[in-house]
Amino acid sequence: MPTANTIFPIHGPVDLLTRLDSPDPETKLKALREIKNQIIGNRTKKLSFLKLGAVPAVASILSSYATQSDSQLVDADVSTSSIIVQSAAVLGSFACGFDAGVRAVLDAGAFPHLIRLLSNLDEKVVDASARSLRMIYQSRLAPKYEFVQEKNMEFLISLINSECENVTGLGASIITHSCQTSTEQRALCDAGILKKLISLLEGSLSQKNATLESLAAVFKKNPEVISKFVGLENERAVESSLSQRDSSLESPGTVIKNNTESVFKFVGPESGSALSSIIELTKDRYARTRLLACMCLVVIRNASPNYLQDMGIKAKLVYLLLELLDDPGQVGDEASFVFSSLVAGKKDLQQLAFENNAINKFCNQLQKSQLHPKRLQGVLLALADLCSKLESCRLTFLSLKVLNQVIDALTHDCADVRTSACICLRSVTRSIKNLCAGYFMNEMLVIPVIRLLDDPSVSVQVAALGVISNIVVDFTTRKSTFIQCGGVKQLVQLTKSMHSTVRFNALWALKNMMFLADDRCKEGIFLELTGSLLASLISDPEPCVQEQALALVRNLVDGCIKSIEYVFAEDGTLLDAVGRQLHNVSDEVGIQGMYLLGNVASGNELHKEAVLQQLLAQADNGAQSFVIKFLQSSDSRLRTAAVWVIVNLTFPSCPGAFGRLVQLKNAGIISQIRNMVNDSCLDVKLRVRTVITQSMTFGDGLT
Amino acid sequence: MESGTDPGIDLATITDRMAVKKAVQCGNVEDAIEKVNDLNPEILDTNPQLFFHLQQQRFIELIRNGKVEEALEFAQEELAPRGEENQSFLEELERTVALLAFEDVSNCPVGGLLDISQRLKTASEVNAAILTSQSREKDPKLPNLLKMLLWAQNQLDERAAYPRIKDLSTAMLEDPAI
Repeated sequence: MPTANTIFPIHGPVDLLTRLDSPDPETKLKALREIKNQIIGNRTKKLSFLKLGAVPAVASILSSYATQSDSQLVDADVSTSSIIVQSAAVLGSFACGFDAGVRAVLDAGAFPHLIRLLSNLDEKVVDASARSLRMIYQSRLAPKYEFVQEKNMEFLISLINSECENVTGLGASIITHSCQTSTEQRALCDAGILKKLISLLEGSLSQKNATLESLAAVFKKNPEVISKFVGLENERAVESSLSQRDSSLESPGTVIKNNTESVFKFVGPESGSALSSIIELTKDRYARTRLLACMCLVVIRNASPNYLQDMGIKAKLVYLLLELLDDPGQVGDEASFVFSSLVAGKKDLQQLAFENNAINKFCNQLQKSQLHPKRLQGVLLALADLCSKLESCRLTFLSLKVLNQVIDALTHDCADVRTSACICLRSVTRSIKNLCAGYFMNEMLVIPVIRLLDDPSVSVQVAALGVISNIVVDFTTRKSTFIQCGGVKQLVQLTKSMHSTVRFNALWALKNMMFLADDRCKEGIFLELTGSLLASLISDPEPCVQEQALALVRNLVDGCIKSIEYVFAEDGTLLDAVGRQLHNVSDEVGIQGMYLLGNVASGNELHKEAVLQQLLAQADNGAQSFVIKFLQSSDSRLRTAAVWVIVNLTFPSCPGAFGRLVQLKNAGIISQIRNMVNDSCLDVKLRVRTVITQSMTFGDGLT
Repeated sequence: MESGTDPGIDLATITDRMAVKKAVQCGNVEDAIEKVNDLNPEILDTNPQLFFHLQQQRFIELIRNGKVEEALEFAQEELAPRGEENQSFLEELERTVALLAFEDVSNCPVGGLLDISQRLKTASEVNAAILTSQSREKDPKLPNLLKMLLWAQNQLDERAAYPRIKDLSTAMLEDPAI
């Protein structure tokens, strides 16, 4: 038998493309097949053919033969069909898992032709076109499908109802790709698509997988659609079991009518409800199916508090996902992400996972060498979620000595990995016990994190700031390490960023640094920041930035009286800025501002007078003092903070207290406070009574 | 066909699959690749490890036929990119390419790659992939059932007298000797 062992293509790429142009269909067909066989599985070849313009060439062949096929009668020419099939296969392969290829195929205008070919009479043509379209729809570059248009919905339904596996798969992929809003989810649900999708869960492997993904897209954050789904039965599965029940169904029938909750209870997990079909698939022999089934269940769980909340299902999901982590391929990579979506923000699940040795499992993954970036990212994020609230998780993590691997990941090539390493560290550095011990304030950790403040990616910068915000809350006051590594300079630089998230996070970190800092530290930071920069940050367009800036200054002036002088630096620009800003702020910002003023008002006479002036300064439109507005706020924290300021200003043993009291009374502030004698909040009530008691020491001339 | 029962799956898919397997077993890897792509172009596009192993086998066949220069060019053109695309293949890639370094390939440390067993391994890998794509079990059931039968009977032989199957082709249960 002659061996077809020629290693090189009989024709080089350029030659092949020339042959595509040949008028002879046989030559064309051969060239197409050969290109197809060269590119399938071979990303490198795809790229080089792409650069030579192969895609437009093949796309134009597809379009001209497709048009030809349209005008032919039932006995379609075999070679026309073959050419269409091969060109569709080539385009599909270019689009398979390769965004540049998808882009090229779309730009070449092949998409509408492929769609039209779905109605071709030759089933091989339909199959090939559907497959190629499926590849395109796996990419986010695919055009968005507008479900809400009636014709489109009809077309989609026809796809889902097809006999051809690739066509139903295409329908499902379209849903997975394009279903994003709740309107679209509802439209799909109303069109009756759920029933059909449920039956596809019993289909072939690729149908199951495609369906699971599409169901997740339809369910996401939509409890209404989920409850409709849960109420449905999987007819194919219950056929046999329900036939015996028919007669006994009469009376309960009226009870369960229109009540999805009781339908679910009646039908129950063991008798084939739609939900149980998905649960069954978590035991499928194929790992990818198990993963997708878990993902679907997690989506349902997260969206709707009515389903899948019992301990059994929680434990099962944790167990299954941890097991899937062992898969060496893409399934294992993705398992971490599904795990994260299961446990994120949920203490009970984090605890359950912890008890199932999740920390060990994920840390073991970190020990492996040459992890795929996607897997590494997933593992780091999962650890971040696990350690986000539970100290037990953090301590276990630290005891497993994988911190070095996480620090290594800070310098990984992939930005997503660097970001996730930071997010992981942010969770771990929440461990107060270790912060107190100064465990994290060492150069090995601090230096790479500070370097990331210069990272080209904004999300890496922001994530790094998160870590820094934690590690500078260092109760052993060994912040000098951080300062020595140039951290403060970097942070201050970032407060000038054009991205508000960066400014916000940088200020947060500085605020934490300022917390209980010693004089030298405060001085160092203030010199770097300068009063004028702080003043401009206090009046930043973003309220969250204003809040952090004020909180920073609040920490700055906290402590000894000397610290209060900072707000008077540079002719009192800071204090003026605070006063001006407070005329028009949200509650959160107001709280910080008032505590700031309260701290200043705890100083000497000059300080108190300055605060009073700020309180009494009129706003531009002549409105009343902002203090009164705050005292009337529905937020008790703000009322508390505001009353504190007045308490400090009217402290009896101070010489100017009486004078200030008179001015406050004239401004209507004291009578406002008197009205709050029975405030609902205890903190407020106590401070109010303090003010009243203090004012009474000056004699009762003031009512 | 003899019993008249409906086979349940399209017999043509079995012949197609058998043709692919046979091509690999005979060392016609390029032919096998073409056939797989005709059967289902997605298989090799979504199975980087399988694709790598098939290219590896092509390389091995070149070495076996003494075409060293072509093998070298092939390694550069087709094998090296696999390593670039996927770092986890690098170790195996290095072992394979090491074949170029030895005069006496059959007796070198990586000579095992030239064994027929390597062909069979690749063949069964591609076979499994085709079966998976058709949603069939990766392993055919019958051999496993037979293995289980023989094992079970071996275990029982040590413990009891029971009617056993001696002749697998008739599967007649024979009563134990008293």
